[in-house]
Amino acid sequence: MLSSTSSSDLIRHHVVPNGAACVVGALLVVLLIAGACVSDRFATLPNLLNVHQQATGLALVALGQTLAILTGGIDLSVGSLISVAATLTSGLADNAYGGWSTAIAAVLVLSVAVGLLNGVLILWLRVHPLIVTLGMGALLQGAILYYSTGPAGSVPDGFDALAYGRYAGIPVTATVVVALYFAVSFFMRRARLGRYVYMVGDDEQAATLTAIPRARVILFVYVFSALCAGLTGVYLAAQFGSGQPYLGVNYTLASITPVVVGGTVLTGGRGGVIGTLIGVYLLSLLNNLINFAGIPSHYQLVVQGAAIIVAVSVNMQQKRRAA
Amino acid sequence: MNSIATKARAPFTRYLSMEIARRYGIYLFFVALVAISGISSPTFLRSDNVVNMLVQFAPLGIVVIGQVFVILVGGLDLSVASVMATAAVIATAFDATDASAPAIFGVTFVMCLCAGLLNGLLVTKRQVSPFLATFATAIVLQGMRFAYTQGAPSGNVPPLFHAMGTGAIGRVPVCVLMLVACALVFGVLLHLSTFGRRVYMVGGNPEAARLVGVSPDAVRIVCYVISALLAGLAGLALSGYVGIVDNWVGRGFELDSIVAAVMGGLALSGGRGSLLGGLAGAAILVIVFNIVLLIGLPVQAQIIVKGVIIIGASACYVARRLR
Repeated sequence: MLSSTSSSDLIRHHVVPNGAACVVGALLVVLLIAGACVSDRFATLPNLLNVHQQATGLALVALGQTLAILTGGIDLSVGSLISVAATLTSGLADNAYGGWSTAIAAVLVLSVAVGLLNGVLILWLRVHPLIVTLGMGALLQGAILYYSTGPAGSVPDGFDALAYGRYAGIPVTATVVVALYFAVSFFMRRARLGRYVYMVGDDEQAATLTAIPRARVILFVYVFSALCAGLTGVYLAAQFGSGQPYLGVNYTLASITPVVVGGTVLTGGRGGVIGTLIGVYLLSLLNNLINFAGIPSHYQLVVQGAAIIVAVSVNMQQKRRAA
Repeated sequence: MNSIATKARAPFTRYLSMEIARRYGIYLFFVALVAISGISSPTFLRSDNVVNMLVQFAPLGIVVIGQVFVILVGGLDLSVASVMATAAVIATAFDATDASAPAIFGVTFVMCLCAGLLNGLLVTKRQVSPFLATFATAIVLQGMRFAYTQGAPSGNVPPLFHAMGTGAIGRVPVCVLMLVACALVFGVLLHLSTFGRRVYMVGGNPEAARLVGVSPDAVRIVCYVISALLAGLAGLALSGYVGIVDNWVGRGFELDSIVAAVMGGLALSGGRGSLLGGLAGAAILVIVFNIVLLIGLPVQAQIIVKGVIIIGASACYVARRLR
């Protein structure tokens, strides 16, 4: 099945998901042209590099979310995990024990543990991931509020380079994240585990019947998503100089929007990470354009919501059997 | 087939106990929770605390009724909280006299109708996933609310709405009577009317529903409109209870109502569950919040317990169903 090159397989696995990405890509171009008409400072290199840099946090968390959604699940614990990661990063980096490297190591270990726990609970309790990760999110939120109810500590000098560092004018972390997207995209298409992710999402029963190691796929996906969220937390701590326990609250739902806008279907099995990347840039450019167009901040949400509706309505070919 | 064979072989009493747990597990859990709470805190069953819990239960219950309809047709409604807050803002948009009550009801009705239709049409005619469609509607409503109030809502609700939120007939709060009325009307609609059968049919098997001449799209749209209308009603009641208005009346109700429904045995894939189950789930949520505070645990513990109960209660239910 993996090496099959029949034309229907080709269309199903390459053209259809990329088709959705193409539509969003076209929207991106339309947005760029519209932006260039609205303001002559919009389509300039410095501004686009700023958009590139500002998209980093959302891009990171949406990468993990994409994989969770591709298996037909969802990870609603990312927001709380981001808060936990950011608060712990600045809180622990402030302490005497080893500084920022210990803090990051602790955050990453914790993220893996949270991801494993999510996966194990989903497999063991057989409860919908929506419920498990929502509950996990509440657990994490409560736990981090025990640790600190306000901004905790501050990151050491030079740590903000993680968020603002540039090499030859190009934002470093943002570019690394984009490279990560392409690496994951390659992995999803070529590696066996990557193909399995699609198969579990496409038809869980068929996946079971063909002896696909579903447990391993689920564990991998939720650990990966948690790791992405943890790294996002570290990044946000670097960006704001300090983490606080509600920092990630908006990221839970916000991380899902670019995934779906980018053509990944919530029932799983269709889509891909490149679509998500385009979705992230579409949303970031839109926010940037709204600022440039001088739209009062209170109307920005209306525009944003309307844009999401337009973007997802255009993706008509996503129609799928009622699950 | 396998499950039938094992069921036939199982002793009748064991089969009976499993069947009871599957069907009435949530109600048994509810009774056990009340008993444990009553024992662990003497104030729990005092009449003023019960009334207090009922007042908190009423708006959530009204929202859950709508959510049940939407989940039964295989959707979910994330816009209920935003609809509630918008209704609350509408309640203070006129002069704070009872003479403006018809206008408030009228405008709220139109707003809910529009929101429900937008949700329903996006989901059915554009095949947008319910998650994203209702999320986008929530953002648009939020934006319109902020644009109207300029971020700082002001004004008072008319006395009539105060009576709706805080008044009582005898010892029974008015909002509880509203909940009972809604539960009766929509319970009859769901469980005794032709429309109710169609809701289950569309949720269980839309294709079969279409073949026997039921329009799945029409039924789905009506369900989203019902959900929006009930959310609007709950928002008006809650605005009367809160007294002052802010942009976030009903915050958290979208996830709480979904969690309540899932705990109450509604399948997110649609077609399975009952109205009473959803209400029992909502009651459990309210009791859990109440007892955690009565025992004197800090608010952090409240959030953690919420997470544990969400996962635990759904785990009980799902494990029984799959066995």
